[in-house]
Amino acid sequence: MQTSDLIRILPEIILAVAGIVVMLLGAFQKQNAGRMHPAIALLGLLGAAGAIAYQYPWRSLDPAFGGMLELDAFSAFFHILFFLVAALVVLSSSEYVAQERLASGEYHALLLFATMGMGLMASSNDLIMIFIGLEISSLASYILVGFRRGVATSSESSLKYFLLGSFATAFLLYGIALMFGATGATNLTEIHLALQAEQNTVTAMASPQLTPLVGPVPTALVGLSIALLFVGFAFKVSAVPFQIWTPDVYQGAPTPVTAFLSTGSKAAAFAVFLRVFMVALEGSAQDWVWLLWVSGLLSMVLGNLAALLQTNIKRMLAYSSIAHAGYILVAFTAHSEEGVAAVMFYLAAYALMNIGAFAVVSHFGNRGERYVEMEHYAGLGYRAPLLAASMTVFLLSLIGIPLTGGFFGKFYIFRAALHADLVWLTVLGVLNSAIAAYYYLRVIVFMYMHPAAEQIPVERVRPAMGFVLIFSMAATFLLGIFPQAVLDFASQAAALLLENLGNGVL
Amino acid sequence: MTWIHDHILTVVLFIPLAGAILIMFLPKENKNGVRWAANLTAFLGFLVSVPLFFWFDSSVGEFQFVEKVEWIPSIGANYSLGLDGISLLLVLLTTILGFIAILSSWTSINERLKEYYVFLLLLQTGMLGVFMTLDFFLFYVFWEVMLVPMYFLIGIWGGARKLYAAIKFFLYTLVGSVLMLLGILALYFINRSQTGVATFDIVALQNLNIPVNLQLWIFFAFFVAFAIKVPMFPFHTWLPDAHVEAPTAGSVILAGVLLKMGTYGFVRFSLPMLPDASSHPMVVNLMITLSLIAIIYGGLVSLMQKDWKKLVAYSSVSHMGFITLGIFTLNPNGLSGGILQQINHGISTGALFLIVGIIYERRHTREISEFGGLSNVMPVYATMFLIVAMSSLGLPTLNGFIGEFVILQGAFEENWVWAALAVTGIILAAAYLLWLYQRTMFGPLDNPKNKNLKDLNFREMMTLVPLIILAFWIGLYPKPFFRILEQPVQKIMERVRPAYYAAHPDAFGAPARLNAAAQPSASLETEAAAVRSAEKRAGASR
Amino acid sequence: MPNYYIQSYIPILMLLAVVILLAVGMLVASYLLGQHRPTREKLTAYECGITPTGDARHRFSVKFYLVAMLFILFDVEVIFLYPWAVIFKELGIFGFVEMLLFLVIVLAGFAYLWKKGALDWTKADSGGL
Repeated sequence: MQTSDLIRILPEIILAVAGIVVMLLGAFQKQNAGRMHPAIALLGLLGAAGAIAYQYPWRSLDPAFGGMLELDAFSAFFHILFFLVAALVVLSSSEYVAQERLASGEYHALLLFATMGMGLMASSNDLIMIFIGLEISSLASYILVGFRRGVATSSESSLKYFLLGSFATAFLLYGIALMFGATGATNLTEIHLALQAEQNTVTAMASPQLTPLVGPVPTALVGLSIALLFVGFAFKVSAVPFQIWTPDVYQGAPTPVTAFLSTGSKAAAFAVFLRVFMVALEGSAQDWVWLLWVSGLLSMVLGNLAALLQTNIKRMLAYSSIAHAGYILVAFTAHSEEGVAAVMFYLAAYALMNIGAFAVVSHFGNRGERYVEMEHYAGLGYRAPLLAASMTVFLLSLIGIPLTGGFFGKFYIFRAALHADLVWLTVLGVLNSAIAAYYYLRVIVFMYMHPAAEQIPVERVRPAMGFVLIFSMAATFLLGIFPQAVLDFASQAAALLLENLGNGVL
Repeated sequence: MTWIHDHILTVVLFIPLAGAILIMFLPKENKNGVRWAANLTAFLGFLVSVPLFFWFDSSVGEFQFVEKVEWIPSIGANYSLGLDGISLLLVLLTTILGFIAILSSWTSINERLKEYYVFLLLLQTGMLGVFMTLDFFLFYVFWEVMLVPMYFLIGIWGGARKLYAAIKFFLYTLVGSVLMLLGILALYFINRSQTGVATFDIVALQNLNIPVNLQLWIFFAFFVAFAIKVPMFPFHTWLPDAHVEAPTAGSVILAGVLLKMGTYGFVRFSLPMLPDASSHPMVVNLMITLSLIAIIYGGLVSLMQKDWKKLVAYSSVSHMGFITLGIFTLNPNGLSGGILQQINHGISTGALFLIVGIIYERRHTREISEFGGLSNVMPVYATMFLIVAMSSLGLPTLNGFIGEFVILQGAFEENWVWAALAVTGIILAAAYLLWLYQRTMFGPLDNPKNKNLKDLNFREMMTLVPLIILAFWIGLYPKPFFRILEQPVQKIMERVRPAYYAAHPDAFGAPARLNAAAQPSASLETEAAAVRSAEKRAGASR
Repeated sequence: MPNYYIQSYIPILMLLAVVILLAVGMLVASYLLGQHRPTREKLTAYECGITPTGDARHRFSVKFYLVAMLFILFDVEVIFLYPWAVIFKELGIFGFVEMLLFLVIVLAGFAYLWKKGALDWTKADSGGL
């Protein structure tokens, strides 16, 4: 191990230290003296972001820990996204934590640990490392979901998430084992080479880096392994048919945690999903593209149709999150450089608008999340004009109306898909995104066009929450009007990710 | 002066937006301040657009007042604006109707005033953007963004069934436009593979050679979007709902400008970008059939309406049918008539909605049976209504006649059956409008509630007078408008039917004729001759 | 699938077969060879020679689970020390520092538990754990 290895995981180290500090502070301080926890958490996130920035440009970095970790632009993009998400969640949950009397120390520590795990996921270039990162972030989120201990639905969703999540992880692990059995490697680049060698036996003989396994790779085993890996990842991104847990968990979890899961965890899962499939398995794309095609379509259709029927806003957003996973899978199905960049851009745009939407939901929800039904929102457009206006912006962005990040994300996705000649998937995708408008509009309808049946109390917005709303709104518009910078970042990262593979892409 | 000359489109485009932002910061309680700010903004918006008409050089075929700034270079989208004759007329129509719509809401809107004007002004920017932009991507952005303020206008300030109407309007249009987005992307990729340049530039995309099969696919992707917007026959069901439920200003804008975006789309995109598909017999027959159905069906349904506003709404379906009929005759007469008829319809139907709005504000009902004999108490109102109704049903000396006549001329040139069927639309229009007029304005003043109605005040007159002046202007001296359209029509014809002008050297917009147009007398004569010969033929067919 | 691939599993298969045979064989042999004289006393559950009292399925305090979990946690961490100790010399000072850090983290967890009262058996509420 060298110093450079340590620097590569410096962000994770900083987060871990900050997490431990917050955790100990929470234990050793007097009850309810949790004002410092968010500050330390933010400081940790800032430091971690600094550690990422310090290593700019990410293009020239060598892999760390013998190829286990790779801090390339791809991983830097996701790191920055995770830190942003975590910071916004920390800020937006300050009201919530105080209101619900949650254990502030543990809450923030777990958020930091989960973020650390996500960071590891984004930069790992090895199936084992991916598994470890996934587990770190998953375990922390299982607890976070059940954080409202007194509330039965919260505990229920935690248990559900834990059980189903463990199943999915088991599938993933089995997939990893089979992949190792088939190719003799867990490193993604080596797996790629082994599979490529399988397709081209002549180069196999000549290639010196070839894996220790002598002879051709058993394709049936690879196919099975791909299927199992797909199950594991599809669960984490909540794509159909592995989405069953999503509505219950998203509804039962504390609202800020739901925001975190639906943006951060989903992005992390997509990051490894992309890296594994695009780096290691690109050679056998014909085996998995149809999986993504079907799963993407079903996610869009089922997510949207189910969301149409919801009256609870959290549950509606949960189903919509399934649909959004579907849109992202459309871009993924293109399995091109453009597609990868589209996924990355969309995840960033989705994260910002969704965190904003959940922040509003969390604020309106009030103590015990009492007011999360659509009818509670009636008339809020006039009683809380600014909150309602920001919610409107986020919802319009979720629909994909131009000048918002959501539109550009969708545009980029469908552009990539159409470029890859996925005409039918694209047509069905855009029609779905039009259908989806209905249930987002319903919230707007309630806010602005229904007389209030019950005057729900609206608390004053605290500065931290105000900052989150303004920031996410500004970012949503920025991504919709001047997307160039983020787009370039994503495109370069995608190009770099696929650069050295040199086969089959585009 | 040169700065303003170079950036006039940007100025025209963003004045309403700037006004909207300004109004957002005004205090809610100061209602008159908000009203004044909105009206002044809209008036200013109209004023700065007037020079466009004088600075525009109708002898130039290229886009004018062009502005171009890089926007998202990695996908090739630019902020680029420009006008040709077609868009010039529509931009002017938008600025004037936008001002009138805002002026007409002075007393009719009293709730949530600030938001109302903000949305109207945002809508104004959106519509102007649609007509001005030379970048297909930017076009799409404006096209969709505009849905949002319109949705709120219907949904918040609308009538009884506003929610249903608002959502229906939004979803219908959204479904259409997402398919259009795919069409745009398809053109974009075709252009990229043919020229290697990634661009959404409308001029560049108008010069592609695409296999006809592919063209048909893209045509239908566009068709759904534009046909919903127009709306053409099977897609029209959102229109009566939206129109009836929208507040008066919303209806004026909706009928006057929003519907034109659909026909504008056909003229600007479908025809020149997909010429083979547009002139494909299957497509032409389909479009003409749908247009004729819309003309007759719209007229018949209008006849049966008991609701004043719904009647006007359905008459729009019929009139818009004329426009699409004119466009898809694919000859210079039909095209130029169709394009001019867009303006005419904006003027006449906009004014009709104002008329309905004025009476609705006084009586809060639109049931035709509630009225009768209004001319006794509201003589000025009755006079103006008469002029507007005549303009809408196509009385000579008024604007509607010119447009419909030239369209029919174009239709006749292709197939006399089309023209014959379309003429029934005019007859129906005369029937339902005159009958409406008779039921409301004439007869005994038997409803006591109508006895004390006040006639128009100055502000209300000012909303109608400009439209009436325009109606007479186009009706009596349409030449400047046709001159503006000559070059664009010629360009479209050369794409859609390249051989047309060789066979018809005298036709409207023919290159030979354009050269001759340098001597005004000659061109006047040919035009007069064309009208005369067409009249003769039309007479023969009857 | 090529032959050599399966061949590498043959030893495992053989081991599996032997294990199954042995286990089944022993059970069968004891069943066949042994004498069967069941009495009431013999059929009761064997609990360290003491007469069983009550039902086996009764509720335990959740504290047992907590202790059990904590035990496993720290047990596993201690086991981690074993391979480290074996190659301690090869790792040198780097390994020493590394393990020190590891232990500090474990210790931080331990301190947290202690402070939270997880080790306090008599405390009514184990402070959030």
